[in-house]
Amino acid sequence: MGKAEKTVETVFTLEMPYCERLKIQRTVFQGGDGPRVAVTSGIHGDELEGLYVCHLLAAWLDALIAANPEALQGQVLLYPALNPLGLDTLTRGVPVFDVDLNRSFPGKPGGDLPLRLASAIMSSLADASFVVDIHASNIYLREIPQVRISREFSDTLVPLANGLNLDLIWLHGAATVLETTIAHSLNATGIPCLVVEMGVGMRVTPEYCAQLVNGILHSWRDLGVIAPDLPLPELTHKPLIADDSNVHFLNAQTSGMFVPTTAHWTDVRRGELLGTIISPFDGSILSEVRSPVDGILFTLREYPLVYEGSLMARVMARKGGHP
Amino acid sequence: MIRNLLCMTAPVREGFDIPCHEIGPKAQQPAVALVGGLHGDEINGIFILSRLADFLNNVEAGTYPELRLARGVLIIPAVNVLGVNLRTRTWPFDKTDINRMFPGSTIGETTQRIAYAVMEATKHAEFRIDIHTASTDFEEIPQVRLYGPSDEERHSSRLFGLPAIMERSLSPVFTTTMMYSWKVWPGQSFVLRVGQAGTVQLEHCQRVFRSLVVFLGRTGILEGVEIAVEDEEVCYFDKESAFRVYAEKAGTFVSDRAVGRWVRTGQELGYIYDSFSGNVIEKVVSPVAGLLTGIRRHPLLFERDLIVRVNRKG
Repeated sequence: MGKAEKTVETVFTLEMPYCERLKIQRTVFQGGDGPRVAVTSGIHGDELEGLYVCHLLAAWLDALIAANPEALQGQVLLYPALNPLGLDTLTRGVPVFDVDLNRSFPGKPGGDLPLRLASAIMSSLADASFVVDIHASNIYLREIPQVRISREFSDTLVPLANGLNLDLIWLHGAATVLETTIAHSLNATGIPCLVVEMGVGMRVTPEYCAQLVNGILHSWRDLGVIAPDLPLPELTHKPLIADDSNVHFLNAQTSGMFVPTTAHWTDVRRGELLGTIISPFDGSILSEVRSPVDGILFTLREYPLVYEGSLMARVMARKGGHP
Repeated sequence: MIRNLLCMTAPVREGFDIPCHEIGPKAQQPAVALVGGLHGDEINGIFILSRLADFLNNVEAGTYPELRLARGVLIIPAVNVLGVNLRTRTWPFDKTDINRMFPGSTIGETTQRIAYAVMEATKHAEFRIDIHTASTDFEEIPQVRLYGPSDEERHSSRLFGLPAIMERSLSPVFTTTMMYSWKVWPGQSFVLRVGQAGTVQLEHCQRVFRSLVVFLGRTGILEGVEIAVEDEEVCYFDKESAFRVYAEKAGTFVSDRAVGRWVRTGQELGYIYDSFSGNVIEKVVSPVAGLLTGIRRHPLLFERDLIVRVNRKG
């Protein structure tokens, strides 16, 4: 087995109009001939949790190849910033093109820039055997650490997600719009890809990131990317299962300012007050937001202003709960 | 008559409405529904539809005694009301694309509620027409766009008399668009693409205004329309007829060509300059003889950006 090494590779590059280049880069940890795995993040320029996860994984791998290079039996590809222009300018989509990169997959080699980016990213992941794509909700909602899985791929993905040290697996019905995401495109070509959602946009939640890092390392050890006898901290989280039958959406009845009265990620009772929508112009409460079921408050609005229809919270009913 | 499709509250402002025009004989459902401004910066369509509403209201008022509306017309000049006022393509609050929220919902996000209200008002119409432009970067010849059309839609698309009809397949990218949702319902659906976003292009607008009047005339919705057909040439282009030129190098693209002109193979269409040194780095020429159906208007090019599209006559 050769010596493990770290390199930075450019996956895609092109000229910008005036004296700059756009580059998508990845960090490659090359060990033995074992499986090749990848972590992708930053596909939305306002989601930062995955960048920190990539940093923590890179630091762990640096230490591993310094102390015990033979223990890296496969290869690890880290893509912290799939949308570098968006990240550098606090723009969710691809700047200039105003397109959501995660609605542009699998892309094509010609055409608009987002499609070419997607195509290059897909080609660069062609020989991966497992990918984790990390998202951080958006700037409006805070999420507990979770994996979202399309039912179409649940047989393959649920066993992988169970070991990822997260708190929730949310099984979605088939939604055709999601066919244009990186995860769907990878899963459709036979490369298992788990979508992780956690935290909130524009922020980093270090404890969630550390929790996920431990889960990813366990999954790599199970796959043979790192040596089976390598000691890792015990897994500390087991996921609950949510699906369309036990997730309840709380959308705003009226516009105003939503002020929560309950902390994120707590058990709530049916009828319990979760927050109020108030008027900034007078002392009135415009609407009370109450839990429809006994369950867990797993999504909570972070950005206070709401329009009619804005999502404020999601509550997952526990087994035996009565909606 | 003006009706509000949806009245919405806002966090710290007064509520706002999405108004529409209902013109002509009262019926349970309109014969034709015309929708513009799903994207707030696509002003050509908003201008065309507001002018069409003015014209048809004048027909109803007896200003043009030779004309008569035989059936009802529904016109929504702009769906994304706040986007128009703030000059943004998307819904300004959460930057979501209203044309990715269909068929909508009464209990979901704000933009889904907007989409639902538009669907309810339009889905039963016999003819449904959604007017768009290209982005602010690109100019499209006024055209009918068909997505996975029926034979009836192929036939009816010629009734507009616009210079180009472009047929495309339905991709998963379109699943949540209004066009896709319309197709579930009986009737015919068309997208018109007109010029570029962010401006009113008077020549294009006048042409499309006339084409809508002609369409209403030929379908019997507006009686008494005299149609001159001498100079009308309609070209039906499938995907294979399109030849695109992409920028080999990044830079500044400058052209004085107009869309809708026939061009020869090798004809000069513009130049790319190095944005720093000012050197000419590429002469852009037509790859085939055909109709110039689209051209780059924003001068700053990334490498491999689309510059022109020429369609060869079938």
